[in-house]
Amino acid sequence: MMLLVKDLEVRYGGITALRQVSIAVNKGETVLLVGANGAGKSSLINAVIGLVPVCGGTIEFDGNRLDRLACDRRARAGIGYSPEGRRVFPSMSVADNVLSGAFGLGRERQRKAFAWLCELFPLLAERARQPAGQLSGGEQQIVALARAMSSFPALLLLDEPFLGLAPVWIARISEAIRQMQQRGTTILMTEQMARPALKLATRGYVMRGGEVRRSGTIAEIRELALAEEYL
Amino acid sequence: MWRRARSISNVVGLGEILSVVVLALAFVIPVASDSPFTHSVANQTLIAITATFSVYIMLRMDLLTFAVPAFMGLGGYAVALAGLRGGVTDAVALTVLSFAVPALVALPLGALILRLRGVYFVLVTFVLTEILLLVIFETPGLTGGSNGLVGMPPIDLFGLSIADNRQVLAFAAGITVLAAIITAALTRYYRQHFASIEENEVLAQSLGLVVWRYKVIGFVVAAGLSGMAGFLLVNMLLTAHPTSFSPISSVNYIAYAIVGGRSSILGPIIGSTLLVWAANIFSIQGEYSQGLFGLLIMICVTLAKGGIVGTAILLWERYGPAWPWGAARASGLAADGARVRP
Ligand SMILES: Nc1ncnc2c1ncn2[C@@H]1O[C@H](COP(=O)(O)OP(=O)(O)OP(=O)(O)O)[C@@H](O)[C@H]1O
Ligand SMILES: [Mg+2]
Repeated sequence: MMLLVKDLEVRYGGITALRQVSIAVNKGETVLLVGANGAGKSSLINAVIGLVPVCGGTIEFDGNRLDRLACDRRARAGIGYSPEGRRVFPSMSVADNVLSGAFGLGRERQRKAFAWLCELFPLLAERARQPAGQLSGGEQQIVALARAMSSFPALLLLDEPFLGLAPVWIARISEAIRQMQQRGTTILMTEQMARPALKLATRGYVMRGGEVRRSGTIAEIRELALAEEYL
Repeated sequence: MWRRARSISNVVGLGEILSVVVLALAFVIPVASDSPFTHSVANQTLIAITATFSVYIMLRMDLLTFAVPAFMGLGGYAVALAGLRGGVTDAVALTVLSFAVPALVALPLGALILRLRGVYFVLVTFVLTEILLLVIFETPGLTGGSNGLVGMPPIDLFGLSIADNRQVLAFAAGITVLAAIITAALTRYYRQHFASIEENEVLAQSLGLVVWRYKVIGFVVAAGLSGMAGFLLVNMLLTAHPTSFSPISSVNYIAYAIVGGRSSILGPIIGSTLLVWAANIFSIQGEYSQGLFGLLIMICVTLAKGGIVGTAILLWERYGPAWPWGAARASGLAADGARVRP
């Protein structure tokens, strides 16, 4: 078991964002979290990386308790994180942005990672020295994604990687995610508009109102989602 | 030739190269001029630059420090005590001492207070100087209390006594160049780390950066540099006196950094030089100069956030000819993460 979340509870002040949430992600799997706005998808992802404190329940990663660790330690334990809404460091160059996901790696491995990512996304090589804040929204999304992948994490957390992207970019990001899958990376991703993600994932959970409502294989999720008009 | 210069500037940064070159020019002053006024103001300028480097390092991580006089005092008093009580006159040993004492104090202190966010950290740094002065006043046996420590023996460098004004000034230039090299090495080596902390600390942490560790490293080196500035001050006056390290003087160093420009290592140099000379030429004393500097800080933060250097870069990029080194930031003239936009 790569990631095991048990009875997780997250509150923001008085508001309960996650209630008794339990999910499990096996090694090498790609798991999708679907749900409407405010369902609690980001809260779950952020609780796993450690950006929001948990009020109850446990999070285990590779057999070790995560919920008491600072978020930098979780990242260095092998979790790559691409936040919702294209968060880049705007005045740092594109190359520095991408490599900021791999601070811990040596220079040689950083160079290799960057070369590999440039092959996947030629944009990164073309704009390597430009400040990331000068890229378009979709281009910034690529930078955030490449940054999460640059440390070759064991678990990749992708919060709405396809949000607001043109079909060409969706295809390119899907291709990158496939390559990560081939490397054996475990992936937990969220999506509202689940279509492109459904092609990548093997299993999924449907969330609503801070709870996990259903879980199942991707075919089951697709049917559920269609029936309940998630798509 | 261009390409070679460009690849060097990638590693070291154009701003860093320029700053060391400009500071090295200070060695000319004691030879070229024999006006005591010029020597005195040049000396004050070099001390201010060294102290302001520590403000600059902290600003690289978006932290404001009022603790510069506290660490200057620690370095200055350490040197004065070593000279008076221990008879140490070797300049190299005293330089190391002036760096090490404040740095060693800053290590546990930083580990404790750098977990504080924003205003709380600023508040604690302000209180630090007050505490140091209190300790000085309460321990007259060791520190001379309100009389300070007077009558230090002149220092010597490799057997050469540094006694007259010219030699003191040349020594100050040497220490300032050293401080610039230390600042450049630190801020270039941890360029990405500092920039990501400056821009978005939480995001940096979620990517695995141990934010707190780099803040402590910056704080410790900044404290050491302040200590070196304290050494220069004590060496110029041959006295360690509490008035040299008043809490309010911290505003000056912040003004030098902000007015000069927080986005480049050239900022502290230009800001200190202009303001120290202006204060001396117009003989603005004590509180008046702080009032003026306060006003300048307000003008900068409202109208020209990048200070002199930042605004100059901005104007150049907008109206000037193409820059041979590419964008200012790419060439290292301005630091990453620096907010040069007005
Ligand atoms: N920082 C916060 N402070 C207070 N409440 C929050 C905060 N972040 C999220 N919430 C609340 O928690 C609930 C779940 O939000 P969350 O961001 O996890 O939803 P989501 O499924 O990611 O939605 P979306 O698809 O819009 O991104 C929402 O009701 C929201 O109002
Ligand atoms: Mg969300």
